[in-house]
Amino acid sequence: MHQPLATQPLATNDSADILAIANNPVLWICVAGVFGVIIVQSVIFMKAARRAAPSVEMSAQDIKTSFRSGAVSAIGPSLAVSLVAIALLGLFGAPAVLSRIGLIGSAAYDVSAAGIAAGSMGAKLGDASYTQSVFAVAFFAMSIGGAMWMLATLILTPLLRKGDAKIRSVNPAAMAIVPAAALIGAFACLGLSELPKSGTHVLSFLVSAAVMGLCLLLAKNLGKSWLREWGLGFSIVIGLSAAYLAVGPAVGA
Amino acid sequence: MTSTTTAPTTSNSAMADFNRTTSRWGQITMIGGLLISVAGPLYLVFASGLDIGPAQLWIAFAAVAATFGIIWIVEPLTYFPILGPAAMYQAFMIGNISNKLLPAALIAQTNIGAKPGSKRAELAAVVAICGAAAVHLVSLAIFVGLLGSWLISEIPPSVLLVTRLYVLPTVLGAVLVQAIVSMKQPRTTVFALVVSAVVVFVVLPLVPSLATVSTAIVVLATILLAWIFRGKSAVAEARPIHIE
Repeated sequence: MHQPLATQPLATNDSADILAIANNPVLWICVAGVFGVIIVQSVIFMKAARRAAPSVEMSAQDIKTSFRSGAVSAIGPSLAVSLVAIALLGLFGAPAVLSRIGLIGSAAYDVSAAGIAAGSMGAKLGDASYTQSVFAVAFFAMSIGGAMWMLATLILTPLLRKGDAKIRSVNPAAMAIVPAAALIGAFACLGLSELPKSGTHVLSFLVSAAVMGLCLLLAKNLGKSWLREWGLGFSIVIGLSAAYLAVGPAVGA
Repeated sequence: MTSTTTAPTTSNSAMADFNRTTSRWGQITMIGGLLISVAGPLYLVFASGLDIGPAQLWIAFAAVAATFGIIWIVEPLTYFPILGPAAMYQAFMIGNISNKLLPAALIAQTNIGAKPGSKRAELAAVVAICGAAAVHLVSLAIFVGLLGSWLISEIPPSVLLVTRLYVLPTVLGAVLVQAIVSMKQPRTTVFALVVSAVVVFVVLPLVPSLATVSTAIVVLATILLAWIFRGKSAVAEARPIHIE
């Protein structure tokens, strides 16, 4: 083993260093790039929609109403996503959170991908084994996962547009069962894998799961669908509060 | 049941132009987004002095692919009939589809009285997603980029440490419940939980070297069990599978 303070990145176990490389200017430039691409796309699509609108009896007012409806209905969900993103800032840093959780991906898939990638290096997100190298590989795994989604969209959309019969005739039973099994299996395994780590992990997991259950139940019974949007944010905040109360300020010692 | 022809050959030249433009620029912008989003981590991995070999990246990629590979393909398939071709390029780049973009599109269609599946509905969805994207980019920039970065610098180190240590179990606890509730497949849920429990609490302590592939093992086993013991009722229809 080398001496810990040598300029060898792998040897620096100081977790504060994650944020040092996570806020690398190049990453901020990439975030700006993703924002820019989405803005350019939106402008081009808006113009195209405006041009085509009269031909399908859609007035300028309809376009305005549609845009405003979309914008207004996105306020709640966007704030909910922002809350989740803020909770993950300490783990991944702002650029990764903005481009992965905020855009392109989502908290569930990207946090899972990061956890799986860290596990493949024998490390755990957030604890002492979470070095800069682990962060870099985890960030890579999240991004390449998102890239695969986009790749699948790029390949499948033209085929589906042509109405490719082969794709549409995929066994409906398989389409109903296999993806659901894959998702529940993945999140069940990832979730349960957190439990052996410590009692506080168990507590955080259970509190968060209970809050989500409650949110979904109330959303269904009271017809308050905003609870569904905010469920993840509430679960994380209340789960973390429980963890903080359990370990107390002693954790910093 | 009407056929789900979202926008095939249209006799209308304005719509044909719309399809051409959105398809072409949808692809160009999505490829751009794809490259930029992968450039960041690749820069970190190869240019920032970290000692990471390509093998580590391939292993990480394989582990993630074994877990979510099916979803990568299935998700675009299930969303296409709802979104239509143009909005596909928006949705899979902006993200948070089911909890934000779909509601935005549906509300817009309702507000202008567009029939689902019609060309008006398709245009309304695209425009609504543009509106949603605008709000989303602004709120991310303000609340996460500015406020969040400030918050991180201000909160006590102990809070930051607790967040870092325990945010993973809180995300996964909530997401697991969300997945179980939204999929509505009790039988599959039981298989998933039992297999996961066996792998995590019995197999891994005995064979720790399996840790890398444990999720893939559980995913595969759950799919097999769910398929072998599928009920008749499961052959309903394929609904969009997306968890946020």
